[in-house]
Amino acid sequence: MISKAARRTKLRWLVGVAAIALLAPACGGDDDSSSGSSSDEPVTLTVNVFGGDGFGYDNLVKQYEQQHPNITVDYNVVTDDYDNEFRPQLIQQLDAGSGAGDVVAIEEQGVGQMMSMDDAWVDLSDYGLDSRESDYPAWKWDLGHTNDGKLAGLGTDVGGMAMCYRTDLFKQAGLPTNRDQVAAMWQDWDGFTQTAQKFVDSGVDAAFIDSPNQIYNIRLVQEAGNGDGTSYFDRENNYILADSPAVKTAFDYVLQLNDMGAIGKFQNWTDEWNVAMEAGGFATMGCPAWMAGVIESTSGKQNAGNWDMAPVPGVSGNWGGSWLAVPAQSDHPEEAAALADFLTEPSSQLAAYKAISVFPSSPEAQQNPAVADSKNAYFNDAPVGQIISDSITSFQPVYYGELHSAVRAAVEDVLYGVVEGTYSDDEAWDAFVSAGQEVVDTSG
Amino acid sequence: MSTVTSRTRADAASEPADRRPTRRLRPRRNRSGAGVHVWDATPLTRIAIGATIILSIFPLYWMIVVASRDASAATTFPPPMTPGGNLGDNVSTAINDDSSNLVKGLINSFIVSGTVAFSVVVISTLAGFAFAKLRFKGSTVLLAIILLTMAVPLQHIGIVPLYIMMIELGWVNTLQAVILPFLVNGFGIFLMRQYTIQAVPDELVEAARIDGASTLRIYWNIVLPAVRPGIAVLGLLTFMQNWNEFLWPLIALSPDNPTVQVAIQQLTTGNYSADYSMIFTGTLLSILPLLIVFIAFGKQIVGGIMEGGVKA
Amino acid sequence: MVDLKASPYLLVSPYFILFLIFGAFPLGFTLWVSLHDWQLAGDKEWIGLDNYQFLLTNERFRMTVVNTIGMFVLATVPQLLLALMVANALNKRFRGRLLIRLGVLIPMVTSVVAVAIVFSQIYGTKYGMVNWFLGNFGVDPIDWRKTSLASWVAISSMVDWRWTGYNAIIYLAAMQAIPRVLYEAATVDGASSRRQFWHITVPQLKPVIIFTVFISTIGGLTLFAEPMMFNSGRLDGGTTGQFQTVAMYIVQAFRERNNYGLAAAAAWLLFALIVVIALANYLVVNRIRESR
Repeated sequence: MISKAARRTKLRWLVGVAAIALLAPACGGDDDSSSGSSSDEPVTLTVNVFGGDGFGYDNLVKQYEQQHPNITVDYNVVTDDYDNEFRPQLIQQLDAGSGAGDVVAIEEQGVGQMMSMDDAWVDLSDYGLDSRESDYPAWKWDLGHTNDGKLAGLGTDVGGMAMCYRTDLFKQAGLPTNRDQVAAMWQDWDGFTQTAQKFVDSGVDAAFIDSPNQIYNIRLVQEAGNGDGTSYFDRENNYILADSPAVKTAFDYVLQLNDMGAIGKFQNWTDEWNVAMEAGGFATMGCPAWMAGVIESTSGKQNAGNWDMAPVPGVSGNWGGSWLAVPAQSDHPEEAAALADFLTEPSSQLAAYKAISVFPSSPEAQQNPAVADSKNAYFNDAPVGQIISDSITSFQPVYYGELHSAVRAAVEDVLYGVVEGTYSDDEAWDAFVSAGQEVVDTSG
Repeated sequence: MSTVTSRTRADAASEPADRRPTRRLRPRRNRSGAGVHVWDATPLTRIAIGATIILSIFPLYWMIVVASRDASAATTFPPPMTPGGNLGDNVSTAINDDSSNLVKGLINSFIVSGTVAFSVVVISTLAGFAFAKLRFKGSTVLLAIILLTMAVPLQHIGIVPLYIMMIELGWVNTLQAVILPFLVNGFGIFLMRQYTIQAVPDELVEAARIDGASTLRIYWNIVLPAVRPGIAVLGLLTFMQNWNEFLWPLIALSPDNPTVQVAIQQLTTGNYSADYSMIFTGTLLSILPLLIVFIAFGKQIVGGIMEGGVKA
Repeated sequence: MVDLKASPYLLVSPYFILFLIFGAFPLGFTLWVSLHDWQLAGDKEWIGLDNYQFLLTNERFRMTVVNTIGMFVLATVPQLLLALMVANALNKRFRGRLLIRLGVLIPMVTSVVAVAIVFSQIYGTKYGMVNWFLGNFGVDPIDWRKTSLASWVAISSMVDWRWTGYNAIIYLAAMQAIPRVLYEAATVDGASSRRQFWHITVPQLKPVIIFTVFISTIGGLTLFAEPMMFNSGRLDGGTTGQFQTVAMYIVQAFRERNNYGLAAAAAWLLFALIVVIALANYLVVNRIRESR
């Protein structure tokens, strides 16, 4: 039995709700998608990215919030380790159906895996975003689609590839420090090997290269791109590492450099690698566009002028590059899609480049003089735009299967084991193959 | 009669023979130790103890040294041995760093560990009372089950289904997900059972029963006040233990809603991953609450551990 | 007086309800999951004991078991021996007993992840203090992460550091309960301090030793935070898995490989391992006999 007072309260509630429901559509929002959504109620969108410096969205996010007063953007740089932390966590969140945020970043080497989870993503073409196709090169556009053909991801940046080197260490070793001369020294891989030998022979107390990982990947991507475009998996997702000539070539090259003593005992993204970057523990390292930002912030102001940049041997290369996607679990897919659209527009890519040196994937942005002619002051005014553009122009995309990231993490451990001395050269290849096999066997 | 001395000194003369008549076969639980021991601390003992203390404290001291300097402190040789003056700056930077959510982690840990400690105390005093003072069918079996549950590290063995459960319940990344599994704590029941047996005389319970008191009244008015020291110890130990839980919170929570252990783990991968002075500042902040608790309640904690040891 | 009311059962029910939901059920469910090919999304296929068969014949998993046992031994045996000796030292008379006891307990109060981070830095190859210290004596820098033994020693030292003081206090309490008459009699018979320690103190401490061995066993076999932070928060336990523990394998299996069935099977094997080792420990420690 409801009392009179309670009934009255109930009525008040009904009236109130009805009023809001009637008035809401009238307060039309300023967003350009279909009406009917209560576009004035405050919405918080979570953007989760990774990387040593994030994606450079701090100012863009503020700008977006100003343009859309009802939207608050929570922009998080979750971790700098994509392979071992961001990716597994994102997968867990997607599986769990919650916790993933409204806009998430997907990195290139994990994109195969992500795109195989068709149901996890919002189809961005539902919000008209297939119109963005003209902003991207075909391979970047295609990789943003799920196996079902859904448009899940919009490209953000590409890595490209350059070789960053320490001028102070090169000087100590008696090597030229001028970047044109350096580029001439290592136009091809033989030249690089000779340079490594000279450095090692000079007796400078530093490693020539930071770690095996990058040099291996640079070589691998070039070889694979020049070959049939596959590395660990073929296009039917069969595990072909053991038979891949590209992999073997890159692998052998690492062993060759290691036998020379040229490779440093640092693993990417570990504490000691970070410390060595600042303290001059190694002389060269692979440098996709976004790595420049990492080097700058890790090495600090005290090392300005000690770093410079030259093209890699063989010029072409690409490490990384990402997409932004909207998980299907988002409570605000429409707003999230609009935000993802905004953050990936060529003008936003340009802004991100200016912020943290991540190279745009849209040709329109790449050709903008601000990018094409850009120089990086920290790297002695190196013509970054030029170097990276060149590396991408000659880049041939490689197919990454669903398990590529996991296999990569496991086999690169073996590479590191070789450098450490845990594996002899004879044992190394078998260990390498079986490490990858192990991942394939244990994966669900 | 000579007395026992350690091997290096013949200190026989220092121990009066009149010790013997006062000796008890079952010595009192006398924490100050007076009258129970006869060994003097020899120089060797003092050295051993001194070394132990230095080793115990050194890593903490190193943490403070690096946290109060800057990033280069961890990479220069010889390592600096004195604290610098940077601690204040580092603390404010660490607190404001949003890649690690340190403050959120601290707050969450307080909530979680506090709730767990409180709940475990309630559950343990209730069950401890029942096992100690009430006789009921199956009590031996149930007690044995509890003993068995103490043997199983639930968060490791059951981690897969616990995670699946949390997903199904929609509780991933919530605080209840990291509170509830930790309430299964058999040790607390054992401890409270011991305390209750000792601290609450059977006669008191009987008398209350005769007066018509219900079980709940007996619990509330007689048992609880009597076992208060035990409650304090259990609460403190449980709080401290839960503060240090890492595996399950790592799985069940996401980085933007961490407990403190997860938050400092993120320090090593976030914005300041290369800056050890920041990382150590964070770790220092994560230890501070426990240290404060320890300094404030140290005596009870030591006493509690010793009680637990004797009863084991 | 037998209390016939239902109240005892009510009093213990909170614990048992929680235990059923968060203890017994997960244990059973782990077993169930381990018998399937289980991912979160998609079909769960019954595969019987395949996961177990895979694990028991898999070299990598076997290595994690060996690692786990190795680290457990290095983390438990020295620690408890040291604890006995420290307790013995603390059992003497000197001033400031409470303060010393607190000092010895401080390691226990530190955050487990904090300790792991600090120690990992101290054990750094190029920039760690341990190598610097050893370098002063002409020892080449040791790569603490490279070999099994070095990494086990480093990680175990973290555990030893944390728990020695705690166990020492427990032993101390039990030591104080030993009747002095035993020592008196022994001295009369001319037994040395050392003999008395090993033949009176230790046997009298047997129940407590069993207890601490048991607790340390569980902690040692489930090591997770320390080995993980030792490699910058990664789960692979080093380049060849030389310090990957079973707990890390379990988490890697479902978190990174998305293979819940395999993870569950590994968890049950860990359980079996704990039972076996705990029993073995009991049998060993039980053989401490009072002599003479």
